[in-house]
Amino acid sequence: MNATRTAVGAPAIALTGVSKAYPGGVRALDDVSLTVERGTFLAVMGPSGSGKSTLMHCAAGLDSPTSGSVRIDGHEIAGLNENRRTELRRERVGFVFQAYNLIPSLSIEENITLPLRLAGRSPDHDWLRTLVERVGLADRLTHRPAELSGGQQQRAAVVRALVARPAVVFADEPTGALDLRSAHEVLDLLRDLVADLGQTVVMVTHDPAAAARAHHVLVMADGRVVEAMEAPTAPELASRLVALGEV
Amino acid sequence: MFRLAIRMVGHRITALIAVACAVLGGAALITATGVLAESGLRSHLPAGRLAGADVVVAADQEFRPPGELPLALPERRRVPSRLVGELAGLPGVTAAVGDLGFPAALLDARGQVVPTRDPQVAGHGWSSTKLARPSAGAPLDGGAPTGSGEVAVDSATAAAAGIEAGDSVRVVVDGRPAAGYRVSAVVDVPAAGIFFADPTAARLAGHADRVDLVGLRTEPGAGQRVAAEVRTRLKGTGLLTVTGADRGDTAAPGAGASRSLLVLLAGSLSGIVLLITGFVMASALAVSVAGQRRDLALMRAVGATPKQIRRLAAAQSTVALAVALVPGVGLGYVLAGQFRRLLADRGVVPSELPLTYSPLPALAAIILLVLAVQVAARCSAWRTSRMPATEAVAESRSEPREPSRTRTRVGVLVIVAGTALSALPLFSRTVIGATATSIAGIIGAIGLALAGPALVRGVGGAAARATGAGASAPTWLAMANLRAYALRNAGIVSTLAMAVVFVLTYTLTQTTVLAATADDTRTATLAQQRLTAPGLGGLPTGTLTAVRDTAGVRAVAPVGTTTVVWQYRQFGDTVSESAPATILTPDASDVLDLDVTDGSLGRLRGATVAVSGDAARTRSATVGRRVSLVLGDGVRVDAEVVAVYGRGLGFGSVVLSHDLAAGHTTTTLDQSLLIRTDGTATARQGLTALAASRPGLALQPANLPSADGLEDAPPEVWINLATIVVLLVYLLLSIANKLVAATAQRRVELGALRLNGTTPRQIRSMMRREAAMTAATALVTALLLSALPLALLGQGFLGRPWPAGPVWLLPGLALTVTVTAFLTIELPTRQALRTAPADAVRAH
Repeated sequence: MNATRTAVGAPAIALTGVSKAYPGGVRALDDVSLTVERGTFLAVMGPSGSGKSTLMHCAAGLDSPTSGSVRIDGHEIAGLNENRRTELRRERVGFVFQAYNLIPSLSIEENITLPLRLAGRSPDHDWLRTLVERVGLADRLTHRPAELSGGQQQRAAVVRALVARPAVVFADEPTGALDLRSAHEVLDLLRDLVADLGQTVVMVTHDPAAAARAHHVLVMADGRVVEAMEAPTAPELASRLVALGEV
Repeated sequence: MFRLAIRMVGHRITALIAVACAVLGGAALITATGVLAESGLRSHLPAGRLAGADVVVAADQEFRPPGELPLALPERRRVPSRLVGELAGLPGVTAAVGDLGFPAALLDARGQVVPTRDPQVAGHGWSSTKLARPSAGAPLDGGAPTGSGEVAVDSATAAAAGIEAGDSVRVVVDGRPAAGYRVSAVVDVPAAGIFFADPTAARLAGHADRVDLVGLRTEPGAGQRVAAEVRTRLKGTGLLTVTGADRGDTAAPGAGASRSLLVLLAGSLSGIVLLITGFVMASALAVSVAGQRRDLALMRAVGATPKQIRRLAAAQSTVALAVALVPGVGLGYVLAGQFRRLLADRGVVPSELPLTYSPLPALAAIILLVLAVQVAARCSAWRTSRMPATEAVAESRSEPREPSRTRTRVGVLVIVAGTALSALPLFSRTVIGATATSIAGIIGAIGLALAGPALVRGVGGAAARATGAGASAPTWLAMANLRAYALRNAGIVSTLAMAVVFVLTYTLTQTTVLAATADDTRTATLAQQRLTAPGLGGLPTGTLTAVRDTAGVRAVAPVGTTTVVWQYRQFGDTVSESAPATILTPDASDVLDLDVTDGSLGRLRGATVAVSGDAARTRSATVGRRVSLVLGDGVRVDAEVVAVYGRGLGFGSVVLSHDLAAGHTTTTLDQSLLIRTDGTATARQGLTALAASRPGLALQPANLPSADGLEDAPPEVWINLATIVVLLVYLLLSIANKLVAATAQRRVELGALRLNGTTPRQIRSMMRREAAMTAATALVTALLLSALPLALLGQGFLGRPWPAGPVWLLPGLALTVTVTAFLTIELPTRQALRTAPADAVRAH
């Protein structure tokens, strides 16, 4: 279960019949199936309570579904214990959260190399330098997160997510806490990663403008995928959301 | 992982300082206890008056039951005097001396007794001076005493009496009337001594065929060889051959007793010290981990396995440990020295008894603490490490869990068990029975910690319902918080309650036992006067008859004390217990009322004993049965039980008959007489005149007024009280740390409240009300938990349903708890209010 890559052609993420129910009867996910091919940029949209965050948690191995199968990079994770799931996650999944991505007491460089350190691997310095220069943080490596702007912190989080060359990067409302300009920068970065490096990105968002940057968009409501759209425009997405709300 | 841990420490420095303080205190306490224990086992008195004897042969003053710790025998066991001649003939021996010790006291010019440290063995033969110094004991001036009319005196006593060589002096020897002697020499020996010519000493001592010990002087360098040879010769006789540092212990048999006391003290302390240290450290670690919840959750999301999180917590704690361990251990050695000084001041251990300072206690403390920290860090990080990684993205901070039902049930069961245990004092009016109360208190506190959340939720709910619609906002908010955050509040309440319960039960147990013992002694004493002769080593022969013949005296009886070892069967094993015993004659019931429930003290003749009610019940020693005892000089006797009495606290579990104990104490003289008069002034005057007419007699009222004050408290009580104070401070620091951290973590909540329109003043007011409720709940719960055990203790020991103790204890505790709760909530609240609410809510 280490650095070997599986056969080319396996989808980055494959969910089959995944359901997640919480004690008390709340069904956050209801029999969801989806496949994410490599090198695609997928956005998952929906009103709050639609289950998009839960979907991401299950797909990323952060949480285990009540039923169904989840395969990351060809490896089944449902049914693994916490330790194995963590190991799988840190090799194959990268994460960008909305806020609080970086550990305040560590420097940017230490934050970026954290997953590798936890795995006991040393970072590929060339790859690291490429990424850092690409996001424009080369001169900020020794600083603490508190000394960076919100946008810079998110970009550092993106680098951290990529440093282990994961099969897929999950982004949970990455631009939710950013001003417009920083939001554009981060979204452009994500789009470029997919285009230039063939990285797979799955982004959860409620912002139609952000979702419009993606290749595919899934719209969720009440724990189900209600619509899949190809390269939609922002106005199309917005009107779709409004229609959902009216039903 | 270690580097990461250190890097992450920077932001959590206060929490780790708290851990370091916990480790510091724990290391100091454990080391101090270890030093006391080791000293009890390995310390030796300095050789003193035996410094010149290269090899000493003496009887074993310890009773060694198989499989148990040796017990000290305080009465001198003697050695056959023929050994002196036998051992003198060994090659390498230049001199062999048989040392005799018997009561002797010098009278100064005014007829007052010159006080010495141990008058019971102040008299010696002249040859004993040879044992005192490496060079032959040359007198300072004058010559050795010759004939039966001369003595030599040590320089200290001579100076105190104001005499020199050549003077005449009166000496009271072994119960005989004072006689005149000529001082032939003043000698420079380390211990007090009145040296008679050897034949005279042998005659005065009264046991021609036995000596106290045999000292050998050897050729230079031959010491070890001679010692080995002597050991071979004496194999199987049970006698000890000692050289070097062990010699000091043979000079006075009481040394063994004080060493046993040290070991006992250390043993009784160690339990409570370990418990509280563990608790405080676990608490500090829990606070430290809780403060890093978000960081640890993020690391979990980024790829740290639960095991790695726990290793991180352990690594951080190890850093704190490394910083505090060495100073803590050093502090422990200092603390042990202070304890020893306290004991020496009370006269419990001889002030010459040194502490053994070896690295062993430090090593023990280090190993214990390292283990404890590693385990405790992992345990406190357990829940955090197992929390799902989604916590990092979760915003909610409420406590959705209901307090687990099992936990509540177990807690209630534990409380019930503790309460049941506290009934023991009703059945066993002994020190052991009293300990049950303190243990019951601690158990109840643990049960409270388990059942706490349900209880606090109930109290909070009731309080919330009770506050009517007209209550102010801060009050209503405070009540709602109490109910909603039951888990968090329960932790704080139960810790505070535990501290109060612990201090209350421990202190009041000590003071109640003290009061009961003094009560026993006071109500039992029918006599009005007590006659002793402390400076003479015992009352002179004929004093008893003289007192009986004094007008107005109704009854007089001698009372003595010694130690006995009682071996009995308990749960199938043989247990040896050493206990103080009183020595009484058959007419003791005229002067003492021991509350005899069966049999009669008048039958205390020959080989008979009386036993306390507790002993009779637990060891099947009822009237008519025979018991096997080991007397204070190690001789085993068989005796018949002729009476059972109730006042075991004041008089010990065994009363020996005078006949049985005769010859088995260091001296045969009576130590004190209890005198019952008809109460008239004539009687008192007659007794005073009698006491004045003979030198060295002291007449006191039989019941001293300060009998139940702390001044006369036995040393265990002092040590226990001192320890309680130290532990309370330690506990309070830990509680303060917890409270400060808990309040600081509520920043988000306070920010949200302020955004909703709560003014800072209202927030402070709310927090103060919460503090008040917390303190009040803690105090009330503690009182409820300890009320029944303490009532039972009082009933069992004092016959009334409340214990004896200082009146200021409870108000003092209440004040301390309230002040602690308020300060530790008020100050962090003000700190938290300084951040703008919007920033606080953005939660960093």
